[in-house]
Amino acid sequence: METLRFAGFHYSYPSTPTRVLDGVDLEVDGGLVLLSGASGSGKSTLLRVCNGLIPHFHGGVIGGVARVLGRDVVRTPTRTLARDVGFVFQDPELQAVYPSVEHDVAFGLENLGIAREEMRHRVDDVLVTCGIAHLRGRAVSTLSGGERQRLALAGVLAMRPRLLVLDEPFAQLDPDGSRALLAALDTAVRGGTTALVAEHRRHPAVEGVARRLLMEDGRVVHLPSSVPVEAPSLVPRRGAPASSQLSWCLHRVSAGHGRAAVLHDLELCAAGGEVVALTGANGSGKTTLLRTIAGLLPPLSGRVERRPGRIAYLPQNPAALLHRATVRSEIVWTLRRTRCADGPDPILGELGLTAVADRDPRDLSSGQRQRAALAAVLAGGPSLVLLDEPTRGMDAAARASLTAAITRIAERGAGVVVATHDEQLVDAVATRVVELRDGAAHELPAGDLVAVGAAR
Amino acid sequence: MSTRALAAWSASGLVIALSTSNPVYRGVVLLCALNLLLARGRRGPRLRLLLIGIALAAATATLLTLLLSHSGAHILVRLPGAIPAIGGPLTLEALAFGLATGLGIAAAMLAVAPLTLVSQPHELVDALPPALARTGAAVGAALNLIPGTVRSAAEIRDAQRMRGWRARRVTDWPAVAVPVVLTAIEGSLTLAEAMESRAYGVTARTHLTIQSWTRADTVLTVSALVAAALFLTLSLTGSAPGWFPFPVLTAPVVSVPAVLCCAVLVLPSLLVRR
Repeated sequence: METLRFAGFHYSYPSTPTRVLDGVDLEVDGGLVLLSGASGSGKSTLLRVCNGLIPHFHGGVIGGVARVLGRDVVRTPTRTLARDVGFVFQDPELQAVYPSVEHDVAFGLENLGIAREEMRHRVDDVLVTCGIAHLRGRAVSTLSGGERQRLALAGVLAMRPRLLVLDEPFAQLDPDGSRALLAALDTAVRGGTTALVAEHRRHPAVEGVARRLLMEDGRVVHLPSSVPVEAPSLVPRRGAPASSQLSWCLHRVSAGHGRAAVLHDLELCAAGGEVVALTGANGSGKTTLLRTIAGLLPPLSGRVERRPGRIAYLPQNPAALLHRATVRSEIVWTLRRTRCADGPDPILGELGLTAVADRDPRDLSSGQRQRAALAAVLAGGPSLVLLDEPTRGMDAAARASLTAAITRIAERGAGVVVATHDEQLVDAVATRVVELRDGAAHELPAGDLVAVGAAR
Repeated sequence: MSTRALAAWSASGLVIALSTSNPVYRGVVLLCALNLLLARGRRGPRLRLLLIGIALAAATATLLTLLLSHSGAHILVRLPGAIPAIGGPLTLEALAFGLATGLGIAAAMLAVAPLTLVSQPHELVDALPPALARTGAAVGAALNLIPGTVRSAAEIRDAQRMRGWRARRVTDWPAVAVPVVLTAIEGSLTLAEAMESRAYGVTARTHLTIQSWTRADTVLTVSALVAAALFLTLSLTGSAPGWFPFPVLTAPVVSVPAVLCCAVLVLPSLLVRR
């Protein structure tokens, strides 16, 4: 019995006649399977079929064969499939059910009616496996994006699924988190679990052991294992001339939420034209620092200096900014508010959004929405650009567009600060790398970053 | 303190506060509940927000009663009769009745507040009888969305501000309100998907934690329920009369046994360690 079997499978969402999946033929029988493909190619849709959310939750028009662990997906409710199929969504922020870490991990086990002693044992185990044992007593609301991603994984692994489905699980993980996830996946696969992982970013360590699939035009294309894994690269821009003008500066700044400082006595400055990459483990204070530089979070002590001009800030969940009827009108809205005379077309073109400019941004795929939000934020010639995990959910083409956009902005003399775990992006755009560790900022030589990336 | 004992205490407080119009009894319930919240609840923005909300609700009730009820012998001020609904005399009796109504609302809200401020959401869900476990988990998850939505509203407002948004006119607000509403809807749908994907509702639920039940919980539950039952009896038999300040303001009649019934609600603050 195959774990997954699709034959001539097609699907379209209720509101659109276009088939998102169009003739999927796929058989998977164990192991680790890596599913890649451009934004909007149908990866997330295919994953949702694997646990029955499509069609049971979303409805739509469906045809062909889709069997998971021998069960017909159309005839088996999601909650029944969930006994054997674990699913981690793309947005870890939205999938915690209970407000405390330990109870959230146990939620699925409680639903399965697992005995208390067994439940405790599994929760203990999985917290260690996912490297979040130290977060056991924390409130979910206090976790960083990466910590939440690990929590979501822990909640699913605790249920010991036979099929594990992960949608962009590496997107917000720091190197330690990525290693913990890889180890957890390896253990699960060795234990007989089949893992289906959708991922934009290239991970040679995963690709080396995984069967590789590509989503293209709603179909699954099998990539032969003989195709070599190439080192991923974005067009690099190194050593852009920094202007002599200061862009931003922190003078003995301590920052944090409430009264507790996450960052202590930071002395950090950057000139216009510099691209500073902020790295560091999940929860190290990258978002806190960005918000402090932006002026959204007053420092607990110290002083923040900024060059006059508009500040562009891309939050971690940028799609939440979008409120207009079209992508184009989102950009026009920013341009008008910032009294900029430019038109929307250049930034639309630069970020590869011209084809979807007149579509509702909320109808776009996750990666396209990310780009739309980026365009809305960057429009209008900001003098300081602050980006929080900008490549989350972006495919290779979108990341190349982002790289070009950051380059252009920096060349124009604006300061750029990027908080990211994406070492390929850092390698391509950063002129300086600052790692946040133990509440302090440590300047890294550029070579160290490549080493961090290689260790993944 | 067990969540079930706390629920029994809250139910008793609610019954007393809502079954009488006498401000003295309502006041005693309010003081007992406030004492419990300050002694056992987690202090912080949630408690502050709740107290502000309760004060606003009570003030609104007082104001509406004062403005809309034109009965009473002692006229404080007379508004022009041309003003619809509120035009006419504003009386001392209406003000007193408004204050008593506000006090009742505040007492009822404070009686229920410890359930959310003293207990954790999962404790509430675990305390429900098995027949309500699934509904309870869904309600718990939905309640969990509220702080997320509040946080997301602040984040969206900040991010839009960086795009040049300023709240100058009413027409500016959709730039924040629309994303907040859409994000909340998307969040609810994703949460529903996540719950379904984690086998919610597939079988009878078990619980990670056991809620301990001590002798103090028994004492508190029995005393609170007996006090509420006694108070209701006194009230229905006329031994603990309500209060109606119209047409002429008089002092409320106080029954000592009824006050003692209300005062029993102070027991959790005295018996249970933090």
